[in-house]
Amino acid sequence: MKIIVCIKQVPDVTEVKWDENGSLIRTGLPSIINPNDKNAIEAALTLKEEKGAEITVVSMGPPQVEEALREAMAMGCDHAVLLTDRKFGGADCWATAYTLGMAIKKLGHFDLIFSGVEAMDGNTAQVGPEIADFLGLPLLSYAEAIEVGEGTVKIHQKLGDLTRVIEGPMPALITCEKELNVPRIPRMDLVFECFEKEIKVLGMADVDGELENFGLKGSPTRLRKVFSPKRAKAQVEFLEGTPKESSQKLVEKLHEINAI
Amino acid sequence: MDFNLTPLNKMVIKTARAFCETEIPAIDAYMKEHNDYPPYLQEIFAKHHMLGMDIPKELGGIGADNFNLILIAEEVGKTASTCMLPFFMNNSVAETICHWGTEEVIKKFVPPLCDGTAWASMAFTEPNTGSDPRALTLTAEPDGDDFILNGTKRFISMANKPGPGVFFAKDLSMKGKPFDTTAFIVDKMSPGITFSGHYELMGLDGADTCDVFFTDVRVPKANILGRQGKGFPILLRWIAGERIQQCAATIGGGQAALDESVKYGNQRVVGGFPMGYMQGFSWMLADMKTRVEACRLLCYKTVKLQDEKNKGFEAASSELKVLTVPLIQEVCRQAVQFHGSYGYSKEYKVEKIFRNAMHLGVVASSLEINKTIAGMTILTQK
Ligand SMILES: Cc1cc2nc3c(=O)[nH]c(=O)nc-3n(C[C@H](O)[C@H](O)[C@@H](O)COP(=O)(O)OP(=O)(O)OC[C@H]3O[C@@H](n4cnc5c(N)ncnc54)[C@H](O)[C@@H]3O)c2cc1C
Ligand SMILES: Cc1cc2nc3c(=O)[nH]c(=O)nc-3n(C[C@H](O)[C@H](O)[C@H](O)COP(=O)(O)OP(=O)(O)OC[C@H]3O[C@@H](n4cnc5c(N)ncnc54)[C@H](O)[C@@H]3O)c2cc1C
Repeated sequence: MKIIVCIKQVPDVTEVKWDENGSLIRTGLPSIINPNDKNAIEAALTLKEEKGAEITVVSMGPPQVEEALREAMAMGCDHAVLLTDRKFGGADCWATAYTLGMAIKKLGHFDLIFSGVEAMDGNTAQVGPEIADFLGLPLLSYAEAIEVGEGTVKIHQKLGDLTRVIEGPMPALITCEKELNVPRIPRMDLVFECFEKEIKVLGMADVDGELENFGLKGSPTRLRKVFSPKRAKAQVEFLEGTPKESSQKLVEKLHEINAI
Repeated sequence: MDFNLTPLNKMVIKTARAFCETEIPAIDAYMKEHNDYPPYLQEIFAKHHMLGMDIPKELGGIGADNFNLILIAEEVGKTASTCMLPFFMNNSVAETICHWGTEEVIKKFVPPLCDGTAWASMAFTEPNTGSDPRALTLTAEPDGDDFILNGTKRFISMANKPGPGVFFAKDLSMKGKPFDTTAFIVDKMSPGITFSGHYELMGLDGADTCDVFFTDVRVPKANILGRQGKGFPILLRWIAGERIQQCAATIGGGQAALDESVKYGNQRVVGGFPMGYMQGFSWMLADMKTRVEACRLLCYKTVKLQDEKNKGFEAASSELKVLTVPLIQEVCRQAVQFHGSYGYSKEYKVEKIFRNAMHLGVVASSLEINKTIAGMTILTQK
């Protein structure tokens, strides 16, 4: 079985900050593999151990994404592909999915594609489904359990309070939830090996495609502005007096606003 | 000269940190409850492929180097977990057997030390000496294809765990020769071997260090490591490497003591502002940081020398200990002082780090012996 895992490198913050132009402030932040994508990697590695599989991780981004790809190989992935080109810059979800889709076509035969459900910085949860659409694959999204059968794949789809069991033929694309597994940490021997492995680097010319579909040019969505909305802060009022007095005041207040 | 870590070194550190966060809390909890290592401890290290760092892949090792092992040692040292001792021991004894052993001995004993099914020991100390090979009283007498060992070893780490131990004995067949110390690889579960209970130690909580009693224990001649009568150089080379690992772990402890103090200095309010900003305390932090940094740099330099393989690193490793013991012990004392009464309480990590740091001056060759090695080397070097 051949599995492709799409991973994104994201800044390691719980609270992302933007500058006035709406660009992510990345300076000084360590980069990590997007948490959901680690679940995707773990899912692929579990299948590799259970049924045997060859895993290729793919990421689009600047050259420093190499670090994330090496870490994925240190976790146990076999090959890594870096899609990097200045012309890929400024891509929205559509252009990202287009670029990843074109590259995946170039990589040849595969049985499954895994992606995370969503990226921690962009949070659109669109890229996985859009790749499936672009490649004409069945989409099995929000997976919290995966079971591979004979030419088919079944998942438990997380839908809030409900779980739906859905099945589709392979090849298929699965987007992975954090409930799916606990990602392993890299293995020390593979840490050394991953630096001996070659990362396949592909630019625009290598993946074919139409120039006007890549990067900022190919992005129908424009990020106009990012701002932190002003939220009204709750007011705290202290009711003075003895316990009896202050509780009487409290009852009056609650009457005033028709709460009781 | 390049003081920067490579991307590989950085990933080793990141991975070691992830290992410490995911595995060590449960290991420490077990050790607190049972006052011993978990029986499956080496398998945990093996699962993460952290054993046999400097051993070729064909023998089940990683085929890496000691520099990266030191980076892991520092991270494990930061946790103040005693599990660092068996981790170092399996690594360093496997390397020692590979360096001195016959092909037969290497094939037999090294792979189990890498796959975590065996626990290594290194046994020199006896009731009457921890430093002098001439004073050894564990005797080895030839008998057919075997030697028969009788006597006592003291303070031996991981002695009561299954696996090979390198035991240094007075070789009675070398009587009259200038050197009569021979190193034997002994299966610690052999008939005739018994153990005392664990020593109650100041630090290294949960360590299993104990005495080992030999009564007519048969060890095959094939298990001699190196040559008969040439055991002491094996000990000296092994201990030089082990010393670097223990120094690195203690430097990690010093770093953790500093980190804890910085955190405390920013949190604890004295006279209306965080106490760290009082000059007396900020100066203390400056002392601590520079001491840790100086020891770390010498540690990296020493291990680079070890990795060059063709140069002696014994004297350099002694110099490292001469610097590290007083400096890091002082850093850990300062950290306790920095925390006030809380530093003396088991609620705070610095208390444990301080107790651990005290071991460095008296275990795996004392500070004084290392001053002697380093000093005599200076005098006799051309
Ligand atoms: C604040 C903000 C808002 C944005 N809003 C929009 C918007 O509304 N519409 C829009 O089109 N774009 C938007 N973008 C741009 C968009 O986030 C990224 O440009 C796009 O490349 C990926 O989308 P995502 O990060 O939301 O990924 P998601 O769709 O959330 O990612 C899902 C999965 O797709 C895979 N994946 C995502 N990116 C890559 C990659 N580069 N390489 C490999 N695999 C990848 C990963 O497996 C990931 O887990 C926004 C960006 C920011 C910073
Ligand atoms: C937790 C723990 C674990 C241990 N694990 C092991 C183990 O696994 N294997 C093992 O073999 N041992 C082990 N030991 C023992 C330890 O290595 C020895 O105790 C140590 O080497 C010192 O030996 P000693 O106390 O017998 O000192 P002695 O040799 O009796 O020396 C007494 C004092 O004289 C000084 N001295 C001796 N000779 C000289 C000299 N030539 N120049 C200057 N000063 C000198 C020493 O510094 C020391 O202070 C362990 C000890 C502890 C506490």
